[in-house]
Parts: sequence; C-alpha cells; structure tokens
Amino acid sequence: MDRDARRGLLLISPTALYAIALLAAPLAAILLFSFWSQDFLEIDRTLTLKNYREALTEPLYRLLLWRSLLISLAVTVVTVLLAFPIAYFVSFHVRPGRKALWIFLITIPFWTSYLVRVFLWKVILGFNGVLNTSLIGIGVIDEPLTFILYNANAVVITLAHAFAPFAILPIFVALEKIDRSLLEASRDLGESAMSTFFRVTLPLAMPGVVAAVLIVFIPTIGDYVTPRLVGGPDGLMIANMIQTQFLRLNNAPLGAALAVVAMVMVSVVALAFIWLNRRWLGGDGR
Amino acid sequence: MTDGARHPIVSLRDVEKFYGSYHALRGISMDIGEGEFFSLLGPSGCGKTTLLRTIAGFEEVSSGHVLLDGQNMDGVAPNRRPTNMVFQSYAIFPHLSVAENVGFGLRRSGLAGDEKARAVDEALAMVGLAGYGARSAQALSGGQRQRVALARALILKPRVLLLDEPLSALDKKMREQMQSELRRLQRHVGITFILVTHDQEEALIMSDRIAVMFEGEIAQLATPQELYRRPVSREVADFIGVMNFLPAEIRMGSGTAVEADIAGLGPAAIDSAQCPGALRPGRAEVGLRPETMTILPEGAPGEGHVAQGVVAEQSYYGDMTYYVVRLDGVDQTVTLSMKNRIGRAVLEPGMPARVSWDPRALLVFSG
Repeated sequence: MDRDARRGLLLISPTALYAIALLAAPLAAILLFSFWSQDFLEIDRTLTLKNYREALTEPLYRLLLWRSLLISLAVTVVTVLLAFPIAYFVSFHVRPGRKALWIFLITIPFWTSYLVRVFLWKVILGFNGVLNTSLIGIGVIDEPLTFILYNANAVVITLAHAFAPFAILPIFVALEKIDRSLLEASRDLGESAMSTFFRVTLPLAMPGVVAAVLIVFIPTIGDYVTPRLVGGPDGLMIANMIQTQFLRLNNAPLGAALAVVAMVMVSVVALAFIWLNRRWLGGDGR
Repeated sequence: MTDGARHPIVSLRDVEKFYGSYHALRGISMDIGEGEFFSLLGPSGCGKTTLLRTIAGFEEVSSGHVLLDGQNMDGVAPNRRPTNMVFQSYAIFPHLSVAENVGFGLRRSGLAGDEKARAVDEALAMVGLAGYGARSAQALSGGQRQRVALARALILKPRVLLLDEPLSALDKKMREQMQSELRRLQRHVGITFILVTHDQEEALIMSDRIAVMFEGEIAQLATPQELYRRPVSREVADFIGVMNFLPAEIRMGSGTAVEADIAGLGPAAIDSAQCPGALRPGRAEVGLRPETMTILPEGAPGEGHVAQGVVAEQSYYGDMTYYVVRLDGVDQTVTLSMKNRIGRAVLEPGMPARVSWDPRALLVFSG
C-alpha cells in the first residue's frame, strides 16, 4: 500500500468506522435474526427459512408489502410530478439573482418538525378539518369528505408534501446545468418549444428526476410515522408491521425477515431505475 | 465581389433593438446577397451577436424589419425561419450520439429512416467526420464538435447559415485550418454564410464582404481589400490591422492635390482621393500601414521620402520583424514591418534607422 492510499484510508476511517458500527453491523444482525426463529421467550438459533416463508405467504404480510410498494410509488409519482414544474419555474423563469431566495423559501417547511407537519395534515384533512369546513362553507360539498383522512390517500398527500423539497432540489440542479444554447439549438433546428422540452430539456433533466425518485421512494417505503398518524387501518404499511413484530409481538426474527424483504424490494426498484437512466443516457451513466 | 446586385437573401430595414434603455442596435439597414460569405466584425459589445440572433429569430426587433428571401420575419419563431445557426458553444446535445445530433433537425423532414441515415452520413462526410456517427458526442474534441455543429446545421439545407464566433474556442493551428475549410465548404454548398467575429484577420481572410460594427451601428460595409485600404474613419482604420497615426497640418492645393505637413515625416503632396472623410484644411491625422514603410540599409541612397529615427522596440516573428521606431525631432513612434530576407540584418533597439515611406500609401483623417 503506498502513502497516498494509506493517507486516504486514514482520512475516511472515522466515517468508515461509524458506518460499519451503525449501519453495516445492524444490517448484518437483522440479516442473521431473519434466519433464526422465536420460540416463545427464547430465540432458537438454528438457521431456517421459516420466517421468509411466512412473510411471503401470509396474506396480511403480502397485502402490507404490496400496499407499501403501491403507496411509495404513488407518493413518488405525485411528488416528482409536483416538484418538476416548481423546479422548472425556478430554473427557467426566476431571474438569477432571485433563485437562491426561492430555493430558500422552498426549504422553509423543514423549519418545523416532521411530526408537527403530519399533525397539521390531520387538522387540514380531518372530518371537521380545515378542508372540509371550507368546502362546506363555500358550498362545494354538503357532507364532509371522508376519503381524505385515515386511508392510503392521506398517506400519499402527507408524504408527498413532506418529500417535495427533496425532489425539487435535484431536479432544479439538473435543470440549472442545462446549457441554454442547447434549447436554442433545438428551436433553430426546427423544433417547437413543446417538442424541445421533450427532446432536450426532459432527457437532460433525467439524472435529476431519477435522483428525486430514489430520494423519495427509498425512505417512503419504510415510513411508519405517517401511516400510523393519518393512515387509519387501511393506510398501514409494512414498516408498521415490522415495528409491531419487534415491539408488541416480540417476534424479532419475523420482523427482521419482513425488513429484509422490504429492503430487497427497494433495492430492486432502485436498481431498475438506475438501469433505465443509463439506458436513456446512452450508457454513460451520468 | 461587391455586389448588392446579387439577389438579396437577408434584408435588414432600419433594425433597432433596445434592452431596457440600452440601445443595442441602431438603425441597421443592409442587404446580404445569396451565396455570399458575409462577416459581422466588431469589438465585444458592439451588437454583432445581437444582430445575428435577430436574424435567427432569438431576439425580436424593437422596430424595423428583418426580411429573409423577401419574406417579412416579424414574429416568426426561429424554428420557422430558413436559417440555421452554429453556436459559439456549438450546443452539441450531450445525450445524443454524433449521428443523432446531426440528424436532430430531420425529424420533420418527412424522410424515411434509411434516407435520414444516408443524409447524416453524407453530412458527416462533408465535414470530414465520416464514420464518427456512432460515437458519443461528449467524446469529441473542440474541432470535431465544431464540425458536428456545422453538419447538423447544413443537413437542413438552410438558405442562410449563421455562425456565432465559431472559431474562437479553437487553438491557432486548428483555427487557421477551419478558416480555409469553412471557406471551401461555403463555396461547395453555395449557401449564404453570415459569420460573427471579433477577429479582423479572420474576417479579412474569409469574407466576401464585411460589416464593421461599433456601438450598435455599421461603421463600414465593404470588401476586405476596400476595408483595409480605404477605411472610412479613423476608428475603422484603427480596428482593421495595424495603422500608425501621426498628426499633420493640411493645406489645400490646386485641383485634387493637397499639401500635408506630417509630424516626424515632413511635407508631402497627396491626392484628395486619399481622404475618406470630409477634407478640411488645418489639423488632421494621417494613417500609414506598417508594411508601406521600410528601414533603409546602412549606406543605401535615400531616395524620395526618408525620415530619421531610432529603433525603440523590436519583435521578431520569424518571417517578419516588427519595429517601433522613434522619429527624430518629434515625440512620435511608428510601427513598421519588414520581411526577413536573406542578408537583411535584424536591427536591435537603440540602433539608428532611416525610414523610407510613400505618400501614396497615406490616408488623411480630418479631425
């Protein structure tokens, strides 16, 4: 090992140790647990696939895994679709001196706690909430809407709002990096403003969109605070079940197996996205 | 080729452009002929790029009209104009291959897939990039990107090709090579080229006609030779090539003859045709190109007009040597260039020099 390599290792070692102690080790422990089994109060340490069989065949777990995947995908799609126009507006229509201010304003929701924001959505979406009373007040509806709280819709609305800034920022950065003369070149070569967007702007913004998708999708599939607070029984997700297995039912091995299954699902979807992105960009993987 | 007689493909009629209170283009009117290699030359900020972008449709005129092939282009978007542009940054699409870049504009052409592929191959061959189609656009050198940008614009067979300082990012050798290639290409395709450049040498080498622009106005529109030999103003003379300016006193003679008493050089009789502006007696400036003067070898007989001086600076260019000579008796220097012939010694600073000059080469600019 030469001097540079040694110095490099020395430089990253605090971070590496931290990552090993707090990420790799717990992951390994979860993985190991998932192959053990719970025998009343004891843990049976013979290796078995029993938990995985249960996780993949028990209808309730399958439902929760499937629902988590669907809700996360819905949140991702909604968030990215809402984030793109905002990022586009700030990048293309705000004058350069004002962009930093706009980005700053977009991050303002982060000044309050995540929990507070979720509770506020309860206030907004509730049976006698802000939305329902206002809509009744102006005569749009006669009865309070009930499909907006304590179900999957509420989870999607709340999570989409919570993750919007995370999606706006990478898309904004990708749009900022686009050389504006490329758009003029496209116009010059005969394309309208609309087709220029689809042939030049969007493909070049894809790295930002993919980053946004991953940043939103990966954490939402494991979220358990929002489904617990606004999801009701129909909005519960797999993370709620993992929590229940670990803390209420005292079945850590099954909880671990469910966690591993969820992790594999996330990895598969994330890898698919990265692969698609590379295909789009002609294999150079930027 | 000084023809306004050619069919005008681009006509500008009193074009004005304001950015807020900034007056970027001031009453530009001119015709650019079909098949002409035309240059817009000027220092940065003179409005030449704005004028080019106005022709392309990226900038709206504040007043006046741009006509392309007789059609008024008011409110016509860039994608509906018979012009294509080579951008200063080349604007090569980084997410597309070389062939996809070149074929970008063919989507609406109505050509079938294999016809498009053939057109792309032809365009690439035309700019000397045959066989590069499958490469990633990002793997290209500066010169190659430039060629891709050219092929991409020319494949659409525009009536006018607009080039925005296309050579400024290339190194000297590459630039010289591209200058002659562009010229050859233009003759080959016969399309009108409008080149924006701040490099007067480049404009002189390449153009049929040149419009020199200062502060949003056309200062002179002429062929390269006219521009170099007969600049209409001191400003233009100063911008094109190197010009020595010396103060002079003008006395009107009989007929077309004029007497000039030039500081450091002495008296000379010149023709009024050598005065591009209005000729007035009194104080004026005369202009002299470096190559119209020579330093006489020591001991050579001095015939005609000879001035005495001392070499102040010397720059050796290999084929040429440029001297700055301080003229005796006045606080004036002149720059002159000498070919480095066999047997001709290169003078060093401090050595005396006898400068021979020719009154026929003088230009007089009345103050």
